[in-house]
Amino acid sequence: MLRLIKIEFLKLRRRKFVWLMLLAALFMPFLALLYFKYVKETGGDPLQFYRWSAFSYTIFIILPVVLGILCTMLIYEENQYDMLKQLWIVPISKMGYFFSKFCVVLIYSICFMLITAVASVMFSVLPGYVAFDWKSVLYLLKTCLEIGIIISFAMLPILAIAASQKGYILPVCITLVYSFLSFSLMTVNMYLHPLSSMAVIVMRNGDIPGVVLTQAINVPLAFLCICIWDIAAVLLANIALGRRK
Amino acid sequence: MNDFVIETKQLTKIYGEQTVVSTVNLHVKKGRIYGLLGRNGAGKTTIMKTILGLTPITSGEVDVFGKNIKGREKRVYPRIGAIIETPGFYPNLTGTENLEIFEKLRGTAAPQAVENAMKVVGLPYKDKKLFSKYSLGMKQRLGIANAIFHDPELLILDEPTNGLDPIGISEVRNFIKNLSVERGKTILISSHILSEISLLADDIGIIDHGVLLEESSMSKMENKNRKYILLQVSDIDIPKASLILERQFQLKDYSVQNNHTLRLYDTALDMGEINKALVTQNITVISSQLCNDTLEDYFKKITGGEGIA
Repeated sequence: MLRLIKIEFLKLRRRKFVWLMLLAALFMPFLALLYFKYVKETGGDPLQFYRWSAFSYTIFIILPVVLGILCTMLIYEENQYDMLKQLWIVPISKMGYFFSKFCVVLIYSICFMLITAVASVMFSVLPGYVAFDWKSVLYLLKTCLEIGIIISFAMLPILAIAASQKGYILPVCITLVYSFLSFSLMTVNMYLHPLSSMAVIVMRNGDIPGVVLTQAINVPLAFLCICIWDIAAVLLANIALGRRK
Repeated sequence: MNDFVIETKQLTKIYGEQTVVSTVNLHVKKGRIYGLLGRNGAGKTTIMKTILGLTPITSGEVDVFGKNIKGREKRVYPRIGAIIETPGFYPNLTGTENLEIFEKLRGTAAPQAVENAMKVVGLPYKDKKLFSKYSLGMKQRLGIANAIFHDPELLILDEPTNGLDPIGISEVRNFIKNLSVERGKTILISSHILSEISLLADDIGIIDHGVLLEESSMSKMENKNRKYILLQVSDIDIPKASLILERQFQLKDYSVQNNHTLRLYDTALDMGEINKALVTQNITVISSQLCNDTLEDYFKKITGGEGIA
């Protein structure tokens, strides 16, 4: 499996867009910087800044969309260039192929959130909007790591849909719907959608200021929601790749 | 125990309501080159895909290296090198990087395997040119390099000379031949180009509309093709010439090809005597020559039509 993951990264050589998408990790920290510069006063709570820079739109919209596009790119090109039959006769197991792609998404997601974390610290501390505080920085890193890991599992259904399609339009469209749906479902039922369940897990301690969840926090239920979606995704991928020649 | 590396028994493949391959019994012997000849859409690629387990069989059996293939047979794949249709590679990588990926996937232990394969197909090793910038011929060569670099016992090559220039075709033909002759590889090669198969194959299978019409060794096939005397006379002299041949030479086994060509299948006849007899009767003889029916003629005859290069 490790060999397959290494090879997946070798395949990404010279694919600038994949790496350029990481720049999206800077978007919310930069917006937070502007917000604090023009609206808020200095000397604020670091967690208040991090809520803006790392825990808001980044985890609900930006990262899911980026990961959805990444999932589609990872699968689509091999379809486009008719590579699968060459890979199958190497041979590579179809589930090994799928999970190696997932591992790329997982590592990418962690990197994305770590960049967000580093950028959040830099954009908050360097201009002097918040004072440097190890406790809050470690909290930010820990939470970003959690988000990076859990969100990749929450995006597994999109990877499965990408694996079941030959084109890229449907997976990208579904990514957009999937991301915005989680945002809407937060107020209805947080345990229906993997991304809103991910938010429940991340915000389980209620220590992010200004975030109010509409339902009681139930972490096992949130994990169950993600697990059910992931099992369905793996089954879909298994069937779809089994049919793919 | 037979010496067939590939054997199909009543192999049938149906897509929807269309029978693409119908009760095909194919026999590829060890160490020989088997040429699968057929028009575009005859079912060659489907047969190869079923042999590789890339597409499920509707009915029948496929044995490769004596093992019955049901779906993807992982134990057999390391012993096979294959190109199916146009070989696909990662466009953002160079040819060498592409092969190195497959080398890592296969876990090929042989040192310089990729370098040697690139050399065999005439592609530069460690070149900086990306696959996306390759010409069709270079892509095809890289596909062949990918099929051979892990030193497989069996090569399954689906139209490997597609897109190659004449010199490239000749080079590829020579090294395919060498792989069989010098290294004892078994090769199943498909083509719709008859001359390719006739120059390369030891055994030939002719497929048309999914049906294997004929399977035999190339030498037997060549022997089957009849010799004849091709006689060309002026248009108006055909009836007169036919009469002379029938009366003077008691010839019955002949055919009129068109309004100035005759084929005489009794090759024991003295061509000089025939010419002399015809000229004496004021018939204009344009040419007379001893001919062999080509494989192309034979192909047309058994498939009942045109359409092969």
